[in-house]
Amino acid sequence: MSDATITLSATRYNPESDAEPSTQDYRIPYREDWVVLDALNHIKDEVDESLSYRWSCRMGVCGSCGMMVNGEPKLTCATFLRDYYPDPIRVEPLANFGIIRDLVIDMDDFMDKLKAVKPWIVREEEKPVSEGEYLQSPSELKEFKQFSMCINCMLCYSACPVYGREQEFIGPAALALGHRYNLDSRDQGNDERAEVVASSQGIWECTFVGECSEVCPKDVDPAAAIQRTKVAATQHWFKSILMPFGGK
Amino acid sequence: MSHPGTSTSSKVYRPEMSATWWLKSRSYFLFMMRELSSVFIALFVLVYLYELFLLSKGPEAYGDLRESLSRPGAVALYGVAFLFAVYHTVTWFQAASKIQVLRLGDWTMPGWMMLAGALGAWIVISAAVAAYFLGA
Repeated sequence: MSDATITLSATRYNPESDAEPSTQDYRIPYREDWVVLDALNHIKDEVDESLSYRWSCRMGVCGSCGMMVNGEPKLTCATFLRDYYPDPIRVEPLANFGIIRDLVIDMDDFMDKLKAVKPWIVREEEKPVSEGEYLQSPSELKEFKQFSMCINCMLCYSACPVYGREQEFIGPAALALGHRYNLDSRDQGNDERAEVVASSQGIWECTFVGECSEVCPKDVDPAAAIQRTKVAATQHWFKSILMPFGGK
Repeated sequence: MSHPGTSTSSKVYRPEMSATWWLKSRSYFLFMMRELSSVFIALFVLVYLYELFLLSKGPEAYGDLRESLSRPGAVALYGVAFLFAVYHTVTWFQAASKIQVLRLGDWTMPGWMMLAGALGAWIVISAAVAAYFLGA
């Protein structure tokens, strides 16, 4: 085993004693196959058990371990030390969120926004279970599958300067999930979602910076989802004005 | 609303976003340049509309403006406006190729193909318009 080491600088913040966050440096062993999360776990297990951060699956599925790595939003379970070595690595909480402790962010705002877009199948009237499933063809699935890959890691919120400046903005992941359900052939909740999605805090706040799509670890492309929702909302508005009975 | 396992009653630190956020990465900077490009394009359009207005007032009034527009400062402004217009157009087509989904049966046209088609059509049409007015 090599004796190589690497410096990891982590944000520290104790709400009971600190007025603002500070940085603490840790000199730790360098392993070529370690990801940043392995390094944090090494610190927690061997160096400083007080360091706080979120993690769970270690395989890019749960979306818990998102942090800023050298200023970029990353899943720390998918970010290798070897991509930074021998330079030091700076690990900070996800940008644009409040900090609860060390690397742990306050995700209440995101959870509320996620719920507001109703990311589930809405039916005008549910059919009885005895009538079977709502069937869907492969091509109907293909319409929205890309947008259903979101793991709620919030990297997109961290990359979005609009969310950073305007915390009322519903934000990329929630709007992309709203779009995903609007595209679902089994769903009938478009009008219900429009109250939130097409509001002034929704799609129209987005200025198409596009960084949300760049940092997405699952290639969801929330920026495209939001712009396509804008097109759909505009078409819907014109139909409601120009067509008899609102185009219904 | 508080959710299980997230924030508690303890003090949450809320960092302020700096006014220079757009200087922190290349992509943010390019985004701001795309936004800024509209200012120069608007300036160009305003001058163009003013030219049309003076044209209606007769050759003397129009000639005075033409002369002032040939000064180095005005030429530099036009040069910058032209560069911003090209940048805005290219990024607009890039954005359009992400937003628009074109399907032929089961086949979905890739974004790069839409972008190449749009840029190609733009160059051909611009060349045809330039050839017509320049009498080439």
